[in-house]
Amino acid sequence: MVEDINLKEIQRKVYMSFFQDGLWDIFLGLFILGWGLAILTEAVYLPGVYFVVIYFAIWGIKKWLTYPRIGYVRFSATSRRRITTRFVILLTVVLLLGVMAGVLWGIGTRPQWLVDYFPLIFNGMLAAIVCLAAYWARVNRFYLHAALIFLGAVFHLWLGIRWEFGFIGAGSIIVLIGLGILIIFLRKYPKIVEEAHSEDRQ
Amino acid sequence: MRTDNSRGEVQEPITKIDKLIHEPSRYTLMAYLYVVEVADFLFLLRQTGMTWGNLSAHLSKLEVAGYVVIEKEFLGKKPHTTVRLTDQGRNAFEEYRGNMKRVLDNLPAR
Repeated sequence: MVEDINLKEIQRKVYMSFFQDGLWDIFLGLFILGWGLAILTEAVYLPGVYFVVIYFAIWGIKKWLTYPRIGYVRFSATSRRRITTRFVILLTVVLLLGVMAGVLWGIGTRPQWLVDYFPLIFNGMLAAIVCLAAYWARVNRFYLHAALIFLGAVFHLWLGIRWEFGFIGAGSIIVLIGLGILIIFLRKYPKIVEEAHSEDRQ
Repeated sequence: MRTDNSRGEVQEPITKIDKLIHEPSRYTLMAYLYVVEVADFLFLLRQTGMTWGNLSAHLSKLEVAGYVVIEKEFLGKKPHTTVRLTDQGRNAFEEYRGNMKRVLDNLPAR
């Protein structure tokens, strides 16, 4: 029905407007970078710390940078519940992945195939989570980010590049993509102060 | 579907179309407000591409009709205006959509 398609398209447009600043790309890139640094430094707590710090930093930056440029909207309670549920599911899966990786790598005897292909399995699962986020958020460029994460393991296995450098490389590229999107966003949407136009509304 | 009014006259659905919502700019505003809980002026400005004056004028008409509530506050020293649909506005929008659908569905085939 025309009316339904129109409303769904408007809802999609509203939802997508909050991914056009590139900040979630930067968040993902820094998180992936954090995984690389965690492997490099053997500081397993780093991804968790990164996640919390960067997550709250991103929301702060959104309030300071994004909302004054494209405005603010509060979704319906149903939509907010759906978004929160999906975010919690993704976070839980990422945490379980981290715990599983730690346990598998920490046990004494491991099957040889697991040793050989662990980076591929781990990166593949991380990429699958990012693909799920891309599907739910309907942000197609997240599929590219997932591919970059998976390629890090491929380069490790077939080119001998150290596993952590795959994460650092993928994370750096994703951050750069996010920064590029942010720059385009800042140029496209200058800040507008409501009071400057108050005379138009008389 | 044609219905009879209190005098037994047949009314086409097209006569029930809410002319206030039917105006394209106001329909667009109502549609955006329908899919969210609250939106601020700047958001509506960016999404609809209207000018400040245009946006303000249309929202004022919707407010007078009781379809939207406009709330003004200050964030620090900066004015901040938010808009949301009232229950009356949501019902009116849904009724408008229903009536439009009936009108379009009843169009004769070519």
